[in-house]
Amino acid sequence: MPSTSFERRRRRAGLLFVAPAAIVLLAILAYPIVESFILSTQSVRLVAGGVTKEWNSFGNYIRLAGDETFRRAVVNTVFFSFGEVALVVSISLAVALLLNHPLGRWGFFRIMLVIPWAIAPVANAVLWKWILNSNYGILNGLLKSLGLIEYYQVWLARPWSAFGFLLFIDVWKSVPFIALLLLAGLQRVPSSLYKAAYMDGAGRWQAFRHVTLPTMRGALAIAVVLQTIWSLRVFEIIFVLTRGGPADATVLMNFLAYRVTFNFLDIGYGAAIANIIFALTFLLAITYVWLMQPRKRRVSS
Amino acid sequence: MSFASARGRGRGFRLLVVVGLILFVVWSAAPILWLIVSSLMQQQALIVQPPDFSPSNFTLENFTEVILSAASLGRGILNSFIVALFSTAVALVIGAPAAYALARLAVPRANALAFLVLATQMLPGIAIAIPLFLVISRLGLIDNVLALGMVYLSFNLPIVIWILRGFFLAIPEGIEKAAAVDGAGVVGTFLHIVLPISIPPLGAAAVFAFVEAWNEFFFALILTRQDAQTVPLVIAQFAGQYQTLFGQMMAAATISIAPVIALAIIFRNQIVRGFADGMMKG
Repeated sequence: MPSTSFERRRRRAGLLFVAPAAIVLLAILAYPIVESFILSTQSVRLVAGGVTKEWNSFGNYIRLAGDETFRRAVVNTVFFSFGEVALVVSISLAVALLLNHPLGRWGFFRIMLVIPWAIAPVANAVLWKWILNSNYGILNGLLKSLGLIEYYQVWLARPWSAFGFLLFIDVWKSVPFIALLLLAGLQRVPSSLYKAAYMDGAGRWQAFRHVTLPTMRGALAIAVVLQTIWSLRVFEIIFVLTRGGPADATVLMNFLAYRVTFNFLDIGYGAAIANIIFALTFLLAITYVWLMQPRKRRVSS
Repeated sequence: MSFASARGRGRGFRLLVVVGLILFVVWSAAPILWLIVSSLMQQQALIVQPPDFSPSNFTLENFTEVILSAASLGRGILNSFIVALFSTAVALVIGAPAAYALARLAVPRANALAFLVLATQMLPGIAIAIPLFLVISRLGLIDNVLALGMVYLSFNLPIVIWILRGFFLAIPEGIEKAAAVDGAGVVGTFLHIVLPISIPPLGAAAVFAFVEAWNEFFFALILTRQDAQTVPLVIAQFAGQYQTLFGQMMAAATISIAPVIALAIIFRNQIVRGFADGMMKG
């Protein structure tokens, strides 16, 4: 039958089409993941131009359990991720609702959304370093002229204010993309649902509560999971603004893994921390895939 | 009746929306505006409080100074262009056929593979950075532009595949069937029929990949030393070394973000449709 040879030909071509991408992804991603697990069971030393590895079983992981700095980094990461995700998703939802309103459809607003998205995280960090500068920064000047502070503050020298500003800066950078995501979701809510709700005498709040939120549940869940994954990767702002200080107040797990590996050259131990982050991300990625499944089944059935 | 009352409440609501939109613009624009304004101001006008905004204090000096004095910036921009173009181009060339195969060519377990591809995009950099660093230094390729480009390929490829797969899934199947009846092979159909109608999503994928590679910092920090340094590294270093020359710091940052901001503005609609939408489609 011609259709089976057609199908067979397509399948053979398909494998050919996928092969180069599969090889690249396997080489650059799969190999390092496996190697990273092996490294984490070793104690690795850099000595005079070479690397020595010694089997250490689960020594690195056991060490993690008793490591005060690691515990600190975990607590910081939990606070940071929860705060970041809550703020990003709620601000993004507000922005998406605004831009979905007829008054917000002007192209200029879209531009205002994609510019912060496109800015390099490093440029963003450097900009805020200048804004927060204790002697000449615009924030101190502004707050003092408004009478909100009496003396210029060294914002990044105190643990809570440093942590809070990093959180704020990261939220600022992360909002645009999630807002775009939610905007795409909002535009799929059938307008007939709103019409029906208004016909039934629903007010705006009720329409939001009973039409928008239920239909957006999937999009919001996806936004939460994606943003949680991305919150575990925050690096540039810490590197440029605080280097983890003051007193490790801004050390997140990702930064700790970097510092342990590339500053302290404790490679096996760093790999163990990296693997914990990997495991967390992996669980979140599975959640993401799972969230996308029911939607697909609904479409196909 | 209910319509009338809704309209009556409408005026207050419109005001709320307008205030919200103004707040949104201020929130998005204020930091960037300050970045650009301070890059155009002389040092002595910046270090007084409040800053002296008189027109005579505006100058292009910071830009000329940075371009002339910091040779690393020019090299960084060149490296960033090479790395971003390389990883974007290769990702398109090998990602487009893969996306097509996963969408259309009856590859076994195509959906599972597609999700696996998306999951790799979510991988935290640190999870692969350590082994990659060891391998690349063993090969003597630390501080090599193309080695960095290969690493960027690994996260640009999933982006490209995911965006394009969503688009290919939506192409009506009749087009390919008709081509097959006319005797076109799979490769011919893909090259001469599918690709030409896929220019907009290819553009969206390219812009997205280019911006990601241009802005990437973490791997550039680990895998380069001097010759292969990209713009983000130069900016971070600059901010560490010359942290009192605020205007120049901002001028360097402005130069570094200009190309990607231009791309983002030009292709804003494709970004919205191509990627944001694709992240939510199964």
